[in-house]
Amino acid sequence: MYAISYDDQETLTEFAENQGVHFPLLSDIDSKVIRQFGILNEQVTRNDALLYGIPYPGVYITNEEGMVVAKFFHDSYKKRESPEFYIDAALGQLNLDENAPQVSGGDQDINLTIAVHGGNGTVRQGIVRHLVVRFELPEGLHIYSPPVPDGMIATQITIQGPEGFALMSPDLPATEKLTLPGVAELNVWHGTVDLVYPFFATGELASECRPLDVPSIDIKVTVRYQACTDRECLLPKTENFTLSLDLDVIDTPAIDLHKGHGQREGNYDGTSALKRLLGRKIKQNPLGLPIFLAKTMLLQMGALLRRLQQRN
Amino acid sequence: MVVERDHHGFDAPAPLGHPGRASLPEGHSTGPEIGERLPDFTLPSATGTPIDYHHDRAGRKSVVVFFRSAVW
Repeated sequence: MYAISYDDQETLTEFAENQGVHFPLLSDIDSKVIRQFGILNEQVTRNDALLYGIPYPGVYITNEEGMVVAKFFHDSYKKRESPEFYIDAALGQLNLDENAPQVSGGDQDINLTIAVHGGNGTVRQGIVRHLVVRFELPEGLHIYSPPVPDGMIATQITIQGPEGFALMSPDLPATEKLTLPGVAELNVWHGTVDLVYPFFATGELASECRPLDVPSIDIKVTVRYQACTDRECLLPKTENFTLSLDLDVIDTPAIDLHKGHGQREGNYDGTSALKRLLGRKIKQNPLGLPIFLAKTMLLQMGALLRRLQQRN
Repeated sequence: MVVERDHHGFDAPAPLGHPGRASLPEGHSTGPEIGERLPDFTLPSATGTPIDYHHDRAGRKSVVVFFRSAVW
């Protein structure tokens, strides 16, 4: 594992020691490699002082040949994967957390597990977790992916959470074709089937900037399916589950800017690093800091005006 | 710092339009694609040792993280 940022070596040394980081933190002080990868945040300019040179954050997973097998970039810097997903991508398999909430269903033939994967199943703003619907089907039985002809039941998952619980597009495994001569061509899953539903919380549910309204939430999951062999079908089943998930407490305004502003874990006090970073950027563009401060002040005023308008 | 909620529904302690909140625009490159080999690069580690990425990983799988900053 390698983690690259535009920070200086001293900062990375302090950070690694303070946070117990044992993998290499690499210092791309002039953002050369960030540019080489084509992921420099060009919306941040030289006049944005200390921010200039940051990348659009993201992660690449490679195989033994150094070829990308998965990558994770999002339309918001606030959306981030749970670290477990990097391990899954590198291993090419999903290993459910033992400590995260999960419930079981099914019957003596079919095991059905509904589990939350990532971060011990806690919920926080923007951090993506996986809700996994795992079927373990015995030899000879399969379930259907839509579409199916009239009279047959495709696997259907419904997930409901409170306001601010945001579901992303599901990640479903490839199906196999099953042809019933004269009847239909069907798409089936068999063996162990993981239907993965990524989700995260928005500020409505788990803001980083105000105390939580509730300590935990309930997610209701309905699973409808029909398992069949090549010759006959079992009765269709509908099973309902409820998972209770804890919300993570993060009170950003209570965290100083130099302690990460809630953007990262831990208590690394980056005051001296911030001074060095500012010094470095001022040397490159002496007018950058005053321009940045003036711009920030104007934006703040705009925000305050919007707040006043909303109140009226 | 004033707190505002963006169009994704995320709260942050910075006003809307602040460069620190600028996110990946739609259609923007996210660098090497799946199936491509990551480029060669060498960068100093925290201790100052130059790390030649492909040489250092020595034929092993890897995770390469680009993050915004350890400072703020």
